[in-house]
Amino acid sequence: MTLKTVEVIAQRLAARPAELAAARAAGAKVVGFQGYTLPEELIFALDLVPIRIGLGGSEALVELGGRYISTKNCVYVRETVGLFAEGTDPYITNSDVYAFDATCLQTFRTAEVIQYYFKKEVYIIGVPRNFYLDEAQTYFTEELRNFVSRLEAFSGNKLTTEKLAESIALYNDIRDEIVAIYDYQATLHPVISWEEVFDVIQAGYVLDRREYRDLLRALHGELVAAVGPAVIAKHDDEARIFISGSVIPPGDKKLIHIIDQLGGRVVGDDLWSGLIPYVEVDIKEPTLEAVAWGYLHRTPHGALPYLDLETDGRIRRLKSLIKVFKANGVIYHTLRYCDPYTFKAKETKDILETLGIPLLELHTEYAGSDIEAIRTRVEAFVEMIKLKAETGVAA
Amino acid sequence: MNTVPKHLLENAAVFRYPEEIRDEFIQTADIEFRDGSRVTALEVWDYLTKVGPVKFPNLYDNSNLFTGRLSHDVTIPFTLKHNYLLMTMHDRMTKAQADGHPIVFVQGGQSVDPYYAAGAIALRPASTGIWARRQREGRTRREDELESQEEKQKAYSAISFEVCNSAGYEHIQEGNVPADMVAPFTALRCSDVSYGTEAHRHGPKKDKVKLLLVDYPLDHQKDKEWAIQYFAENLRRLTRTIDEKTGRTTTEDDLAAEIKLHNEGRRLSVEIADLWWSAAHPPTNGKDRRDLFQLGGMEVHGDPVASLSILREAKGYIEKRVREGHKTRGIVDNAARLFVCGSCVFPNDFRTEEAGGIIVGNDNHWSDITTMVDESGEPYYQLAKAVLSYPYEQPLVERAKWTVEQIKKSRTNGVMFLYKWGCNTQSAIARLLVDEIKAQTGIPTIIIEDDMTRTQTEQLQNRVNAFVEMVS
Repeated sequence: MTLKTVEVIAQRLAARPAELAAARAAGAKVVGFQGYTLPEELIFALDLVPIRIGLGGSEALVELGGRYISTKNCVYVRETVGLFAEGTDPYITNSDVYAFDATCLQTFRTAEVIQYYFKKEVYIIGVPRNFYLDEAQTYFTEELRNFVSRLEAFSGNKLTTEKLAESIALYNDIRDEIVAIYDYQATLHPVISWEEVFDVIQAGYVLDRREYRDLLRALHGELVAAVGPAVIAKHDDEARIFISGSVIPPGDKKLIHIIDQLGGRVVGDDLWSGLIPYVEVDIKEPTLEAVAWGYLHRTPHGALPYLDLETDGRIRRLKSLIKVFKANGVIYHTLRYCDPYTFKAKETKDILETLGIPLLELHTEYAGSDIEAIRTRVEAFVEMIKLKAETGVAA
Repeated sequence: MNTVPKHLLENAAVFRYPEEIRDEFIQTADIEFRDGSRVTALEVWDYLTKVGPVKFPNLYDNSNLFTGRLSHDVTIPFTLKHNYLLMTMHDRMTKAQADGHPIVFVQGGQSVDPYYAAGAIALRPASTGIWARRQREGRTRREDELESQEEKQKAYSAISFEVCNSAGYEHIQEGNVPADMVAPFTALRCSDVSYGTEAHRHGPKKDKVKLLLVDYPLDHQKDKEWAIQYFAENLRRLTRTIDEKTGRTTTEDDLAAEIKLHNEGRRLSVEIADLWWSAAHPPTNGKDRRDLFQLGGMEVHGDPVASLSILREAKGYIEKRVREGHKTRGIVDNAARLFVCGSCVFPNDFRTEEAGGIIVGNDNHWSDITTMVDESGEPYYQLAKAVLSYPYEQPLVERAKWTVEQIKKSRTNGVMFLYKWGCNTQSAIARLLVDEIKAQTGIPTIIIEDDMTRTQTEQLQNRVNAFVEMVS
């Protein structure tokens, strides 16, 4: 049975486009954004409405986007461009300006294409690849300062310490609630599924952030009332799947539904469109320096290279989350031409093999033509994991 | 030297430098090297006519289907000396390494001044591939191609089958060449170079090679003081890291001297380009034009002093040809003049010329060469400022504006944007760039993708030839 707050969130989501249009008519200004290293706290602190844009799962929009950007770009990027070309997505049409970051260079290119063909005002934040060095911290702080000054000019509002402190506190609350709620889907007898939590996370891309924080608190309260504290545990015969790899944005449920239909149970992820942006974000004070530090020291996105395998925060986080959520297999989802993650597939498989965790790489697009091929591979993988879970022996 | 009988060059299955040119060639200048040594033209001649054909029969394959075929324009000494330097790549790199010069794998389309300032040798993917292949002797062209494909398959297996085909990861990952470092400029031109560098942290050779990213910031980077400072600091880190290998300390004076040397190469290339483009008839064939223009990058031979010495000599020959209205054999009158944009892919010059065209310019590997570094002031800062202003790396409308300038100077009448299969970064803006160029110039454009595996060579050439026909 669906939890009441989950239903409320779905209803609020359905009402959001009309609400956003009304807010704009009343003078609100909306910033549509996309990226991983883009602190939306700054947008919110300037009394602007942050809306994370971008969808997945539509072949038609991918094709449309491919007329402007290349067919050698990932389908998420192509669909984003397709959304602009089609011009009917309520979040894109209701944005006044757009912000992108250069974490993934394909996102950077998307921004350039949108700027050129659709004549949109676009702000880009440069992101250092050597993100762990002191000079990168200085560079990124200045990029944020530049971003803020452009938003200030656009909005006529000034960023104050008080406003930034208030915004950081709000986002910290949101992150804490998401992390707490997330555990409940991995319990022995869950009252909320991973897919539902995933949808709740992505609802936060567009809902009013204060309302969203309150809805998360309500959902957390409902979960505590239903089952008490979350205790992550597993059945002996479960295929507990952890999803890693490329983005799975709103609208793309192909893989998730296949896993579910074949008796696998998703219990965790480290997707940048899932849990990972909310884990251990430490912004120590209401300054741009602290925001920059907090974002650069999160779990790194796959597009930010890190040259020492032993101390790579992304790998460390992956291993830790697999353990926490008691997963016994990883499905490594890669979108075609998503180089940040496809380049790491073999390496990740080799690393997890040493821990006895099998990894299945699925390389896919939004087309329906590979559904049966994926289904066959997932079915075999789920069977193998279940057999191993039951007998302790790999098939 | 303009009287070599055609049959000696074009009608043989195997190419040989004709004896008719020997006497004049051996009177030309020595090649000077960075270590102070020299090679006389006679030694070059002996190598190309006696040693080369035995060691590298693949390179003497005379088929026009072979993109790397030796140039038939043997009356300009540069072509022979350039080929000599490429054939001796393995021998020279091995010696340099033994002499204490670390060899560093870098990105194409970037300057290499700081690597050489620190006493290292910087090789881009193409040069690394040449080094790897020159280790194999006695191969036919087919054997050489098959071995290269097999090595590429290893890179697909170790990294991803979507890995860029040109990046040469396999040579280091598999230990085909004993590079000491992988330290490219990131995000410049390409995204795969960063991921490819990271990929070297994994696999059997992971502890053998030092990894470093010289981080190239994006988005209006040349106009941001903090971006220049950031990149300058990355350059300092690069020379410090090389110093750890060599045990020496690179000074600002070392870098300033290196910038001066490389500026001379860049300036000479630009002067040669202006001469070449000013000529009524193309003064060389397309392959030699590209090789000449690219010499200004000072990195193709793994020895900037050697590159500079043949560049200096070449300029005089180009001036003479332009002055005398030289007509290059194999180029038709009123050939369709093509400009190539994009990354790494190039059509077969010889076959393009057979079809009635000639490639007169390209943006890749030219943007960095046309960017001079200010020789006054703090050299790391000035180098960073120059590198961040490469036209190829600017916002797209600005990049298009620079490209249009090159197109106009080269009197281009058709623009081809070529990119490699799997190249996200350049393919993404192919449509945008050619649309902007077309809007500004009205010149016909075409976008072509190539997978560089030689299985699609004919398709690529077919499209190029059709475009030539249309433009003509």
